[in-house]
Order: sequence, then structure tokens, then C-alpha cells
Amino acid sequence: MADKRRINGPASGTAIPIFTPSKSGAHTLQRTRKPNQLRKIYLQPGVVPTASGSAYLELESLCHPSSLLNAVPSSLKLSCVIHGPKPLPRNANFSSNLQLTINVKFAPFATRQRRGYIRDVTERDIGTHVETALCGVIVRDRWPKSAIDIIITILEAEDDVQWGSGTQQQNTVGGLGNMNVVSGCITVASAALMDAKIDCLDLITGGVAAVVPKDDGKFVHHLDPSVIEEPFLNSACVVGYMPARDEVTLVWTRGNIPSYSDGQTCRFDSLLDSAVNAAKGAHVILRQVATELAQAESTKLIIDESKT
Amino acid sequence: MLDRDSNGVSLTGNLLQTSTNTLGMAKVLPGDIIGSTTTHLAGPGTHVYDSKICASIIGSVSTVSASASSKSGKPTLSIPRVPSRSLSQPLKLTTLPALNSIVLCRITRVQQRQASASILLVDASPTTLVPESLTHLTSTTASSEDIYFSAVLRREDVRLTEKDKIVMNESFRVGDIVRATVISLGDEKNYYISTGGNEFGVVIARSEEGNAMVPASWKEMKDAVTGRVELRKVAKPV
Repeated sequence: MADKRRINGPASGTAIPIFTPSKSGAHTLQRTRKPNQLRKIYLQPGVVPTASGSAYLELESLCHPSSLLNAVPSSLKLSCVIHGPKPLPRNANFSSNLQLTINVKFAPFATRQRRGYIRDVTERDIGTHVETALCGVIVRDRWPKSAIDIIITILEAEDDVQWGSGTQQQNTVGGLGNMNVVSGCITVASAALMDAKIDCLDLITGGVAAVVPKDDGKFVHHLDPSVIEEPFLNSACVVGYMPARDEVTLVWTRGNIPSYSDGQTCRFDSLLDSAVNAAKGAHVILRQVATELAQAESTKLIIDESKT
Repeated sequence: MLDRDSNGVSLTGNLLQTSTNTLGMAKVLPGDIIGSTTTHLAGPGTHVYDSKICASIIGSVSTVSASASSKSGKPTLSIPRVPSRSLSQPLKLTTLPALNSIVLCRITRVQQRQASASILLVDASPTTLVPESLTHLTSTTASSEDIYFSAVLRREDVRLTEKDKIVMNESFRVGDIVRATVISLGDEKNYYISTGGNEFGVVIARSEEGNAMVPASWKEMKDAVTGRVELRKVAKPV
């Protein structure tokens, strides 16, 4: 018997389209940025007036106009909304700390591979990583008996796999797209927390770095790697970093650190340092945005006082 | 509000320089060091790290000089939370009720022994509360249990004198807006509030006909249209 509570598909069903692999191979772009240069960041707090705090983050799109017909390399577009502090739910036990609920959801249209409406394993996994990063920065004992909801909607994200290639590539670390999402989620949630005036130890930001092999057998660290630009990489690392205290609240690494070749040192902590440097770059933006927000609030207050 | 373009920041060039504090103004951001615990006390909106007082929220630092009652004699550094409010936006509750803070609440239930209320505003002064926002408060009819913190007003906390003669139904009705003070942070759900004192009690109420009422005495309010008198524990008008 059909489920009456859902909209069911047609009874006969349709054939799924099967695309032929692209002749040009994987659709990649040459990285034109310097290894230590991030993509441009757009960050705007206070986009949702009815929420206690909100922010929107967007990364520069790397799309070239000529490639519009082919696989369009997507950038990152995130929106974060914070509701609360509000009372704990009726059935909850007493808690002297602020209860965090983090809800990360891909919009169905966020990636080329469409997502479902119910949160899947990947989204819950990203949510856990973001929660780990944010738990270390929020002063939770300031808000007894209360809870906040942090809802992050991913409007656009990079695909984890290269499109247009029929075969799986060698030497590739999966999950780089998700790492970029985690890093962006940390930054956008930090901006929204600041907008909501939740007590935080610092302005936390996320950063991603990757170890990329060069043609001459050496390795280079790329900050803010994009899936479309990095067809080959050995390992990638995402951190949540607090610059004022020089503390890291989240580390997530994938892949393997390449072995030494001709005496070149390529170690885990140097990859971690690169990811921290990427986070410092994003922090410059967040700090600028925070300063502008603080100034806008003080001028608004002066205007309000002159009215009354 | 700033327009969209002026607030979006793009970043180019070498990013490896660490950010430097070039604010120059008194605006502080979370993580900024604003003082030392040897000379100051940490107030709301700040936290202490490694004997340094750091900001926890954005805003500007306000220094309150030491009062005679405080033992240490140090001035207190705090970052006030500007009520993030404008006429087009609903009010945001970004402070929690604390002991002795003055709250505005709406009565949600009146029983023999106690009344229940939803806390709408914490520590609101008349300057932060404009008439438009009050009409917004009174017109909300949606279930507010999961938005507002709930409070309990026990019968013996309604007023300071003749406590044994208090009748809850002659003090409050559902929907009244009440100014009260927090006397206890309470149990896992409720805060405990009290209206003991002249300045506490009903500030806004509607009569049975639904008209607005004006205070007539400390225990009576008068319908502004029909002139009928109803019993309330009335707050002294400020």
C-alpha cells in the first residue's frame, strides 16, 4: 500500500538518464591563485531580521564563462541562522550550560548530485565537526537553562567528485568538498554568533589546506584548495582556529602525508600550520565585518536615542 | 542597516599576515584584551583568560567605578548588550533573567496559589521600550512556551503586606503585562518572580470588554471607555 503521507512518484517510473563520459576528461581548472592565496570571501551578518543572529557567506566562484555549458564549478554559499537563547524543551533535564543544537543541511540543489530532504550521514557528520569546533568557543556556562539552535543551510557547495570523468582518479583524497563546507560553516556560524551576541572566547574561523604534488616530485601546500582545481592531492586538513588565543578547536585530516623525498620536510604539523594560516586569512575578513557591525550598531543607537 | 555592498569585504593578495588591531576606536571584538584582573573586575560581556579580561561580544567597553559595597574596590569592565531592536524588527531577548533583574512578563495562567508568566523583556528601561514595541508585545497570541522563558509568581510574592489576604484572581488576569523582579532562578523550568513593591505589578491590562485600562489606585484599574473598575495589583506609573 502506498504511503499516503508522502507525494509518491509515478507508478510506472521513468528511466534514469545515462550520460556518456566527457571526451575531454575530467573538468578541471588550473589553479591561478598563489599557493597561499584564498578565494575571495563575501560575509554579511544580520541577513535574517527575525532570528537572533544570522550570517551569509559566499566564496568566489572559479567558473570561467566559456565553461558554462560543461560542468559548472560551484563555489560555496552558506547561510546560518541562530535562534535563541530560548528555554529548554519541556522534557529536557536541567542543564547549567547552554545547549547547542547544530543542524547542517544541504539544499537539494546545492550540488550536482541532488540531495534528499532528510539529513543524511554526510550532513550529520559535518554537523558533528562544526559542533566540535563551536563548543570550544562559546562560553556555555553564561546561559543556564537555555538552548540555541544553529541552522546552517548549504545553498551551494562543491562536489566531492570530479564531474565529466568516467573513471575514478588516482591519488585523490575524497571529501575535500566537505572539508571546505566544514570550514565555511565554522566561519559563518562564528559571524552569526557574533551577531546574536552570544558570549564567545574569540572569533573562530575555519581554514583548509592540502598537500599537492608538484611535477618535479616535490610537494606544495595549497591554502583553501578547491575541488575543481586540485585533481591530485595527497592529504587535506581543516581546522577551527581561534587567533587571539592561538588555539585549535577542531582538526580533521584526510589522506596520507607523503614520505620524504630528497630531504624535503613534509610533515603533519606543517600541514596543520598551513590550515591555520588559511583560517587566519578568513579571520581578517571576519574581524573587518565584526568591526563594521559594531560601528553600525553604535550609530543606530545614537539615531534611536535622538528619536526618543 | 548598512547596504549590501559596503559590508561585503573582498580579500586579495598575501593573506599570511596576521590581523592587527587597527581599530583605534573603543569598539571591541570577542577575544580582544580589554584589561587586567589586577586592576579591574570582569563584568557582563567579558571573560577572564590568563588573568586578562577579554571581550566576549562585540560592542564598546564601559567602566563602572567601584561602589562602596564591593569588597575589592576595583572598577568593573563590562560590554553592554545594546538591545538589537529597531522599529521594523521584533525585539530580541539576548540577556537571561538574573537575580534582582526587572522583567516585563505576560501572565499566561492564573491559579489559586500561583500565576504563570512568560518573560518578555529583561532589564528594559523606558528609553529602550517604545510604544510600538509594546503593542507588538501585547498583540502576540501565539503559543509562546518555546520562545519565552517561563516564570512563576507565587501568591505570597504578589505584595509585601497582608499576604494572607491576597486573592490571585483579584490581582492578575491572563494577558496582563506585569513588571516584576526576579527573586530566584528557580528550578529546571521556571524563574520565580515577585511583584512586592509599589513599582511592581500590572502595567498594561485590558478589561473584560477588551478595552485598555488605566490605573485608578494601587489595586484598581479603570476601563478607559466604559469607566468600569476591575481589581488588579497595579504598578505605580513611572
